[in-house]
Amino acid sequence: MSSALAAAAPSDSEIALRVSGLGKRFGATVALDGADLALRHGTVHALVGGNGCGKSTVIKVLAGVHRADVGRIEVAGRTWDASDYDPRTARAAGLRFVHQDLGLFPQLSIAENVALDAGYPTATGSRVRWGALHRRVAGLLEAYEVEADPRTPVGALRPAQRTLVAICRALQDQEADQRLVLVLDEPTATLPQHESDVLLEAVRRRADKGQTVLIVSHRMPEVLGVCEDFTVFRDGRTVAALVGRRPTEQDLVRHMTGVDPAVSSDRALAPGAIRSGSPAPRAKQLRRGSSPAADPGVVLSVRGLTGGPLRGVDLDVHRGEIVGVAGLVGSGRSSLLRTVFGELPPVSGSVDVRSADGPARPTQDIGSRMDAGVALVPEDRAGEAAFADLAVRDNLTVTVRRRYWRPWGMDTRAEEADAGALVDRYGVRTASTAIPLAALSGGNQQKVVLARWLQRTPSLLLLDEPTQGVDVMSRADIYASVREAAAAGCAVLVASSDLLELCSLCDRVVVLRDGRITADVAGDDLTPDGLTALTQLTADTPPRSAAHQGAIR
Amino acid sequence: MSTTDTVPVRTDGEPGPEPRPAARDRSPATSRRLRGLAERHALLLLLVAVAAFFSFYPPSAERFATSANLNVLLGNQATVALLALAVILPLVCGYFDFSLGAVAVASTVLTAGLMSFRDLPLGVAMAAGIGLGVAVGFVNGLLVTRLGLNSFVTTLGMATLLGGLIQWYTGGQTIQAGLDPRLARFGSATLLGIPQVVYVVVVVAVLLWYLLTQTPFGRGLYAIGSNPRSAALVGIRVQRSAWTTFVLAGAIAGVVGVLALARSGSATADTGTPMLFPALAAAFLGATAVRPGFFNVVGTIIGVLFVSVAVSGLTLSGASAWASPVFNGASLLVAVGLSHYLGRSRGVRT
Repeated sequence: MSSALAAAAPSDSEIALRVSGLGKRFGATVALDGADLALRHGTVHALVGGNGCGKSTVIKVLAGVHRADVGRIEVAGRTWDASDYDPRTARAAGLRFVHQDLGLFPQLSIAENVALDAGYPTATGSRVRWGALHRRVAGLLEAYEVEADPRTPVGALRPAQRTLVAICRALQDQEADQRLVLVLDEPTATLPQHESDVLLEAVRRRADKGQTVLIVSHRMPEVLGVCEDFTVFRDGRTVAALVGRRPTEQDLVRHMTGVDPAVSSDRALAPGAIRSGSPAPRAKQLRRGSSPAADPGVVLSVRGLTGGPLRGVDLDVHRGEIVGVAGLVGSGRSSLLRTVFGELPPVSGSVDVRSADGPARPTQDIGSRMDAGVALVPEDRAGEAAFADLAVRDNLTVTVRRRYWRPWGMDTRAEEADAGALVDRYGVRTASTAIPLAALSGGNQQKVVLARWLQRTPSLLLLDEPTQGVDVMSRADIYASVREAAAAGCAVLVASSDLLELCSLCDRVVVLRDGRITADVAGDDLTPDGLTALTQLTADTPPRSAAHQGAIR
Repeated sequence: MSTTDTVPVRTDGEPGPEPRPAARDRSPATSRRLRGLAERHALLLLLVAVAAFFSFYPPSAERFATSANLNVLLGNQATVALLALAVILPLVCGYFDFSLGAVAVASTVLTAGLMSFRDLPLGVAMAAGIGLGVAVGFVNGLLVTRLGLNSFVTTLGMATLLGGLIQWYTGGQTIQAGLDPRLARFGSATLLGIPQVVYVVVVVAVLLWYLLTQTPFGRGLYAIGSNPRSAALVGIRVQRSAWTTFVLAGAIAGVVGVLALARSGSATADTGTPMLFPALAAAFLGATAVRPGFFNVVGTIIGVLFVSVAVSGLTLSGASAWASPVFNGASLLVAVGLSHYLGRSRGVRT
């Protein structure tokens, strides 16, 4: 990988943005460890890497959201110390950001969205000069190839056009002599294929006219199609800077995972073929002896499921098995879980849940799925799981309210006792069960949400990003609880963007890509680097080993 | 299945920075409990203090603490108390219902009108009045929960609509003639020295208290009020439950209308606002007491008593007619401000 670094030697005059030796720690976690990045004028530059490699941190440092501990940032010849760099500096230096959440107001017109950023042109008496505004925005739209009237509400535009509006809003004060650097953070993550093609072509044409663009993306074929230079991050470090030459997808993935492609050669695409050099010992391996084969009972059986981003998912989950779902943003991880839970109606295909009492009712709503023993811990804890102002006790017993009802009222004593027992059992740190849930830390809130479901002894537990925003100690507790449930026979389906989590927690992991399951990895093949490769690559996957049946397309 | 008998003792003592929750720290918990106690009973103490003040304050002392005054006070406040109970039902789920005052008046006018214009028997007329409340609640619930319209605007529109219909139905006249005298007799009679209408309020209050605090359904309503998305994802039928609260509130408002007719012996066309606002004030005052931060039945009753005792005392002390609305408004502002300050304001969705 150092050879790749040596190849990066563009002369200083053509550098629009140079970041060198950037370091950033969050507590004990090293997010950036001497990261370098150099953008040439008028090029589209890709910043790629697996999850947690430090891409997002670099972008946040460049935007001034995070302050780096050490390093230098150089824009168009001016140099700042990274520890002395804030959002105003970023703006003054000419960096403009368009984030995945575009920050547009869908009900307002394009012209108003643009004007809210730069200010409305006014005449005497603060009257808005609508005519002037519309003419200016019409010019911008033409330059950025958005075929729309400035009066059109942004919400009525196609997704790619919306991103372009956000781009032209960000770059609207660009003048001929001043060169701005446009940073696009995951611009296509939530766009369908044809929309991202439209968007990237437009970006490409802007670059051909001299615009410098930095794209952060997970989608390899897209960046390969549009970018000229590539910087690859791994573990907070720059492992490759490929200037002016087109790597192959395998080249990039090799840099991202740090694995010599010679080992896997033409089997590079086979699931798990890319192995980590030093697999860390994992707790999972301790319980492998007692895993799924012991009981072949299929708890969840999904066939040809389509709906939302899902395009025909086949999946079986067995009793006592922990199955992970890996995939990029927009691959349909959450949709799969929510469809299984009965929240989202499938367009076609079937979801069969077998509880201990036999097949569940065919009705597909949350109530009957819960009766069948399905439990869901959603991704957005604050928005979809917590009752922040209700007591911890109420948060725990909400899934089993009917248990405590007697004709003379609720049996609050039993409720209190059960809540206290759950708090002790799942290690929730709280002064009492009567205080509001909001008073607890994120990790403890998550334990409450998990305990809420585990007390029902579910036959199928669906976990969506179970440890997002959870501290390390609570994380260990949560893993222990999930493993305990699985050991007792609960089937577990975990969707996570944390590949290390999937590898350490799961018996096997299925990879969702473009709404289909494209790989099914188990055993020693299950490594974060292998999963990174499988979630990133797009080429067709050859048939995998026959360890598990029925889950591969 | 209860979890108590299946809890193994955790022995895998991972070293943690904090003690296990079993070893709970006593002193902060005690002080919190004391503060909570004070917070829960502040409104009740205030009510006692105000009552004591007017019992000894010379200008009002003579007439305030008499059974006659108490009877008038309770009897006149029965309708407001009942309307306040209706108001808290949708509020628990996070929805306003501004139409309940108009529903009560519409029920009064319809009940009176059916007896006066159509010579229908009392039972049928009362059923029609209450049924009207149910129907309006049903429509409100449909619009707000199924179609997702803003409850604030929807029920305000419904209130305005009903106000117009009331004007049309009565022609702006007071309906007095042809009413069944039994109704007025019920409205003025006392039982064990207390106006009979008060017993209606007590019965409804007990039923509502049971529903809200002693049933899984009621627990679900508070969960919806806390976070409707979370509630849906733990299997609570959010739309159906919230809809039910609108229908129940409408039914209670219909009863309020019949009681108001029994108390006053006549039906006057008005918009219902003069009755709704004190009821709302009581509901919000009540949310600062007993279970602070949450709309609750006992707190609401205390809220009604607090406002009416204070207003009665002020009136007997010779304060002018404007004192009552000023006190109502001021106490509402203080109540809302207090619950916000206490950090428990739950941001009712409008």
